[in-house]
Amino acid sequence: MSLQLSAHFYWLTGKLMNKLHIHPKYCKGCQICVEMCPKQALKPSDKMNAKGYLLPVEDDMSRCNACRECEILCPDFAIAIETDDE
Amino acid sequence: MLKYLKEEGPMGDRLPMILCPGCGSGQVLNAAFHAIDKIIEEDGIAKENFVFITGVGCSARLTSHYLNFDSGWTIHGRTLPIATGALLANPELRIIVITGDGDTGAIGGNHFIHACRRNIDLTILCINNGLYGMTGGQVAPTTGIGLKTSTTPYGNTEESFDLSKMAETAGATYVARWTTAHPRQTVRAIMKGVRKKGTAFIEIMSQCPVHWKETPVDMLKALKKNSVRLKGDEAVPNGKIPIGEFCNIEKPEWIESYQKVIDQFN
Repeated sequence: MSLQLSAHFYWLTGKLMNKLHIHPKYCKGCQICVEMCPKQALKPSDKMNAKGYLLPVEDDMSRCNACRECEILCPDFAIAIETDDE
Repeated sequence: MLKYLKEEGPMGDRLPMILCPGCGSGQVLNAAFHAIDKIIEEDGIAKENFVFITGVGCSARLTSHYLNFDSGWTIHGRTLPIATGALLANPELRIIVITGDGDTGAIGGNHFIHACRRNIDLTILCINNGLYGMTGGQVAPTTGIGLKTSTTPYGNTEESFDLSKMAETAGATYVARWTTAHPRQTVRAIMKGVRKKGTAFIEIMSQCPVHWKETPVDMLKALKKNSVRLKGDEAVPNGKIPIGEFCNIEKPEWIESYQKVIDQFN
């Protein structure tokens, strides 16, 4: 599904989809990035890190416009967005 | 922004940070890093010129272990005298003082007023969460009226301090207040404050999810809902937090004035 979606995104826009990087060691599962994302590109998951915090995962990264609100809002420096031109 | 943090130290792994999940202090540090990153890029100021100074409290944890900058973890409430001393020793430094509301408004209140009065070239970031977080959620001078904390279980009956208005009255040249739900505005305010020659006081209303007993997301949304932008002399409705720039004026900076006196005798 994700591969199909990214292929479709590339066909539509000529760009690769933005990539989400979550640092599992630093994330504390506060879900601020999930709720404060203006485009709702993230969702909570059942995936746990070593300390038992629930990590966020990507919901639909084709919605992400790399505003980097999640990067500034994260209290633990655990999230990063990688764009095509970087 | 991980390049500004030390990941490894003599005591082993430093990160993840010691703060509770969803703490606003981490967000303020993140905003400060974004502002400094832009200033290093645009103004060409070396990274070595930035110094972080904190006192005691949750906010002090930001500099004590993790920063890849020069930093000082100093006495409770006495951040501003130490920052003044550092600046007098080397006026080239860009000093960023991170304090909490207990540090600025309670024990260090007098230092705060007089640093603003002298108009020293400091940037003061005040993380205001409305209670004493580190010691167990007791009532602070900045707690709003009627709020329940661990020492006021039937509601706070004291009036609260308005730190931004106090800084403005005491003579700071740049005063702004934002919340942790306004990250871009905070970054812009910190950039303006660091570039300002004179005391810049930026108060950031923050959440303490543990002691206010709410989730961080609910608190951020409440902060966004309950804040009103300042527009001229328009009155702010009761119970809302006025946010925005309180003042942005030009005044002679103290170290420059002092240097002029020294130069008379050389």
